[in-house]
Amino acid sequence: MSLAVDAPSVHAPPMDRRVQARRLTVALSLLLAVTSVFSLAWGASGTSLWAAMADLAAGRELSRLDRIVLFDIRLPRLCLGILVGASLAASGAVMQGLFRNPLADPGLIGVSAGAGLAAITAIVLGAMLPPAIRELTGNYLVPISAFFGGWGSTLVLYRVATRHGQTSVATMLLAGIALGALAGALSGILVYMADDSQLRDLTFWGMGSLAGATWAKVMAATPIILAALAVTPFLARGLNGLALGEAAAGHIGISVQLIKNTSILAVAAATGAAVAVSGGIGFIGIVVPHLLRLATGPDHHSLLPNAALLGATLLLAADMIARVIIAPAELPIGIVTAVLGAPVFLWILLKRRGALGL
Amino acid sequence: MSPFSRLYITLSLLLVTMMAGHMVMAQTASRIVTVGGSVTEIVYALDQQDRLIARDTTSSYPDQVTELPDIGYARALSPEGVLSVAPDLIIAIEGAGPPETIDVLKAAQVGYVSVPEIYSADGIVTKIRIVGAALDQGQAAEALAQQVTDDLSAAQAAAVKAAGGHPKKVLFILSTQGGRIMAGGRNSAADGIIRMAGGINAITAFDGYKPMTDEAVTIAAPDVILMMDRGGDHGAATKELLMMPALVPTPAAQNGKVVRMNGLHLLGFGPRTASAITELSQALYGETH
Amino acid sequence: MQAFDIEVTLGRTRVLHGVDFTAKPGQVTAIVGPNGSGKTTLLRATTGEIPFTGRVLLNGEDVARQKPWQLAAIRGVQPQSTTIAFPFTVVEIVRLGLTAGLSAANTDLPVRALEKVDLTGFENRMYQDLSGGEQQRVQLARVLTQIWQPMVDGTPRWLILDEPVASLDIGHQFTVMDLTRDFATRGGGVVAVMHDLNLTAMFADRVVLMQDGRIAAQGTPSEVLTDATLTQTYGCPIPVNTTPPVGMPFLLPQARMTREPC
Repeated sequence: MSLAVDAPSVHAPPMDRRVQARRLTVALSLLLAVTSVFSLAWGASGTSLWAAMADLAAGRELSRLDRIVLFDIRLPRLCLGILVGASLAASGAVMQGLFRNPLADPGLIGVSAGAGLAAITAIVLGAMLPPAIRELTGNYLVPISAFFGGWGSTLVLYRVATRHGQTSVATMLLAGIALGALAGALSGILVYMADDSQLRDLTFWGMGSLAGATWAKVMAATPIILAALAVTPFLARGLNGLALGEAAAGHIGISVQLIKNTSILAVAAATGAAVAVSGGIGFIGIVVPHLLRLATGPDHHSLLPNAALLGATLLLAADMIARVIIAPAELPIGIVTAVLGAPVFLWILLKRRGALGL
Repeated sequence: MSPFSRLYITLSLLLVTMMAGHMVMAQTASRIVTVGGSVTEIVYALDQQDRLIARDTTSSYPDQVTELPDIGYARALSPEGVLSVAPDLIIAIEGAGPPETIDVLKAAQVGYVSVPEIYSADGIVTKIRIVGAALDQGQAAEALAQQVTDDLSAAQAAAVKAAGGHPKKVLFILSTQGGRIMAGGRNSAADGIIRMAGGINAITAFDGYKPMTDEAVTIAAPDVILMMDRGGDHGAATKELLMMPALVPTPAAQNGKVVRMNGLHLLGFGPRTASAITELSQALYGETH
Repeated sequence: MQAFDIEVTLGRTRVLHGVDFTAKPGQVTAIVGPNGSGKTTLLRATTGEIPFTGRVLLNGEDVARQKPWQLAAIRGVQPQSTTIAFPFTVVEIVRLGLTAGLSAANTDLPVRALEKVDLTGFENRMYQDLSGGEQQRVQLARVLTQIWQPMVDGTPRWLILDEPVASLDIGHQFTVMDLTRDFATRGGGVVAVMHDLNLTAMFADRVVLMQDGRIAAQGTPSEVLTDATLTQTYGCPIPVNTTPPVGMPFLLPQARMTREPC
């Protein structure tokens, strides 16, 4: 027995994980930069980034097709991929910290259910809206509805779970399940009303895609997602403290309610915007934080920025696979992230269950 | 035909005429992508398949079209995927998208012609005229339209005669997933073809394809069940189908009347629809007219 | 630290009935009593973990009016047991006690705090791989890191402990109790819920004995820990200062005469 007690822990890290985490941040930044370049260079068409850069350097005009492929297709798609990947992964990490549960994801605060229901409503009933509104929203009725739907359902959950200025995360979790069931039922009614082609649209929306990337979407999502990501560094100490439990977090000087409010609002904004512009993309929010906790530990000071970087990188990589594997057609990206993410997740569970604290 | 669809067709034709003028002014398209099974069939019927360079997933007839690159499902097209085959004209069935992709394609100065989908003989003729105009084959299209109109009238007349004043009630079943019958109601392609083939759609309570409760199926009391042929042996499947509690009491099950036809042929509403009418009519009322 | 008329109702049951109590800086105040007498509830009310009526003053200031970071600067609270949500290492847990701005500059505090609780070399071990007693000492090291100096600018700081020795071996019970004694001697205040009456008698300056949500007795250990009060409170005869029958071994922590390190 004394041997077991004295033996060094199997998981003992050899050095201060803060140093490792800082190195990882640098490495992930480089990796994201490289992936971004590849994402610009790689696509179904013959447009070559290198040839285009050579042309630009030599002062030659780009062909119309090259200009469209690079600046109207690949570049907005790259921006959207980075924004969506970063917000999904960072939101996942924040949710897991807030709920003290390694399996938490933004779905728990109702964002996904609300956004999904609103998107389905817009797809099925959008045509019934007065022409003035349809004129105003143009092609963006579905993303706009999804954003406000996600935001709205989070506010409802928050109101239900907050009493006397105290938000109970347990109540929020249970109310989230109820709200999810309700949204599922309402979606079911809409699915019943949908015609054949609307059904197809619903299916594709649920699988997520960056194929519809436009500068308008990038412009709309950028301020929301960047603002939410900019808040996350201020959550790090609070989320670390919450790992001790709410009471203990309060005793080390953390305003627990402020951390909860900020986390929920930031995640609702970031996830709402991400889901609105890309549909349902799974597994990034769960797998990325877990991988990083395995590598450099659960300290949110490094976990949150690294999750954003790795999430963006992985989503770009998944998107590259999605768009070239069956070119000229393309796979919904949600399929790629699930097909790659699920086995990785299972592998983590098999190999490192202890290290994850499960 | 409702006044609305008449108006729609008139407007479409007006648009086609304008579009055709535009196309003539531009150079003739030689790298064409078609989206929609019936659109592709019309291109073949006009003998313009040499100008085709790619097609969507639903374009599967004639067989040689499947050798062309597939740009994906009609409503989920990827802009760079479509551009990668370097098309100068896209002829797409109504509803192809998403709109973001169509916007990018138009920005890339790829010609784009949208073909309306109406489940009637006039609808087919409209499709042929629009596709013909887009291909700069107005005369050939007119001839084909005339031919198809004649064939359709003949097939419909024969079908009405075969029905002999006693049209059969037909239930179109899209799927029986999980024991639930998904049937074709009004304003569906199935409804259109059933009526053209001298039958009556057993389902008039809803639009499009919807799952039905068992009792409603029983009350509908179809004489014939119509399904899509998914290839392979259907003997066992048919037996299982007719044992479904909702179907057992129906005349169709008692007489074992199940008709299966190729989906694109049956529901495509293209140049082959006359032959689909004839095939369905014969299946409904027998060879002897 | 002063508490006035503390009442706590959990569900429909009133658990505390108007408790008044005072703990002075420079002293170790022990709260003792049988299971369910309200010891831990009293502690959790005074630290604001559960809703209560009444008033709690810390260094003369109403606790309810202070922000978490203001309280954290003068008060450290060690919980009875803490499960950690994620696989943190020991030093990462202890570092959570470094309050931004106050002692953050002194980054070797976590290592020194671990040394104080006899966990030198445990820095990079996984918290969840440790035994219950080791985890408890890690939590104490975290609290010590938070309020390292018992006095700052003439104001005392407070160490509030819920059964700090509950799962410790006797050697480490001494380590921890010596540490709290030392904190009080240097001017800080210590309030601890205790189960072990011997350790209480040995280390506490003042004892608060609770029974059924009320204070049954308070005073010095020799005033409170008597045959009569203990027998009445715990509901069975408890003779104080009596040796057992000859031949039965017994050991008392009080027998450790000097304060030599263990």
